[in-house]
Amino acid sequence: MPPSEPNLARYRGHLSLPEVGIAGQRKLAQSSVLCIGTGGLGSPASLYLAAAGVGRIGLLDSDEVDESNLHRQILFRTRDVGASKVEAARATLAALNPDVELVTHAERLDARNAAEILGGYDVILDGTDNFPTRYLINDTCVRLGKPDVWASVFRFEGQVAVFDARTGPCYRCLFPEVPPAEEIPSCAEAGVLGVLPGILGTTQALEAIKLLLGIGQPLIGRLLLFDALALSWRELALAKDPGCPACGDRPAVSQPAPPAQAVPATVMAVDAGALDQRMREDEALVVIDCREPFEWDICHLAGSRLIPLRELGTRLPELDRARPVVVVCHRGPRSHHAASLLSQAGFPDVGFLAGGLDAWARQVDAGMARY
Amino acid sequence: MRVRIPSPLHSYTAGVSDAVAAGRTLDEVLADLERQYPGLRFRIVDEQDRLRTHIRVFVDGQLANALDRPVEAAAEVMIVCALSGG
Repeated sequence: MPPSEPNLARYRGHLSLPEVGIAGQRKLAQSSVLCIGTGGLGSPASLYLAAAGVGRIGLLDSDEVDESNLHRQILFRTRDVGASKVEAARATLAALNPDVELVTHAERLDARNAAEILGGYDVILDGTDNFPTRYLINDTCVRLGKPDVWASVFRFEGQVAVFDARTGPCYRCLFPEVPPAEEIPSCAEAGVLGVLPGILGTTQALEAIKLLLGIGQPLIGRLLLFDALALSWRELALAKDPGCPACGDRPAVSQPAPPAQAVPATVMAVDAGALDQRMREDEALVVIDCREPFEWDICHLAGSRLIPLRELGTRLPELDRARPVVVVCHRGPRSHHAASLLSQAGFPDVGFLAGGLDAWARQVDAGMARY
Repeated sequence: MRVRIPSPLHSYTAGVSDAVAAGRTLDEVLADLERQYPGLRFRIVDEQDRLRTHIRVFVDGQLANALDRPVEAAAEVMIVCALSGG
């Protein structure tokens, strides 16, 4: 447990600020923040929250550290590759500030555990990397009456806001529904400049600390857009939407949405070894690579055909429905979605490569370039 | 007027992030953008001529929900796309 009295020497810089002082530092020591996601946003956010002396910090992430995380996820070191993210994060943050109580949640957030986990913290910091979890966090925060300190990034662009349905709009007042998965690729697929989430995550930590201290103008009812190439911030006004499905006059979202769509029964996960065998034995098999062209240039399967996921809907006429299809991507989610689209479009025999080409490189072809 | 194009739609504008378009209403502005950047409008507006739920358009910093919203010639239009990356 954190000490009842803050370490005066450590927080001298805060104590000199009339807006913080010893009373504010005590307030921080008695406060709690849950960082959902310890990646590009959660790394800088949790580091600053720990450094600031927030008394209890929750770290929620089910992933392990991957080498490709290290260009932006500054909680981790090269030696952490393969380790549990929350455990590696705990070690880093404990070394930074032993006064902070660190609680790890090495699990995925879902509709069953969200209220119980989020209910234990004062402020929720959304640093996740997918839409379904972002909506789940929002809907749970609305129900529990918690502030959702939210940010997201894409390539060179970032967005940050504080959603608090008690005093302002929630995330669904801005974007009412989960967008289709094929509309927007993830960071891993589209790329992100490593320092960008550092700026947005640090802004989240700032807003969380302001909320805990009750100082300044919180980023409620405002959306900040950051353009790293222009180095500009733009502010847009957000208003509470009376028709909002989560916090409006007649909310339609009574239970948080499940974080993932069920796999249609007709879409089969195919492991790398089985696909290798099928490609050699089944001449009718069509292998579609639904990644982006730049990823195709890094590596691809001989005999596969490039149709990026965003083009799949308009290029269906090119495909023969009578032939079996297996879709591949980098890690699996995009090909899973593409296979579902094909199945819904009437393709009777559709599968996707479980674990993607990354699994193929590990299990079948060690010479394939990984990224 | 200047129209800000969000990163996820840059593949339709050959990387242009600040477009210039004309029109008296938001719908006319989007039509002008479509003339310049074929395919862009359909990423913003669906088959029922409604703004897609993960796209929002702001005119001079204020949310614009309707396509028939008047737009001044000197207005700044910002198209904002929901991002999920973290």
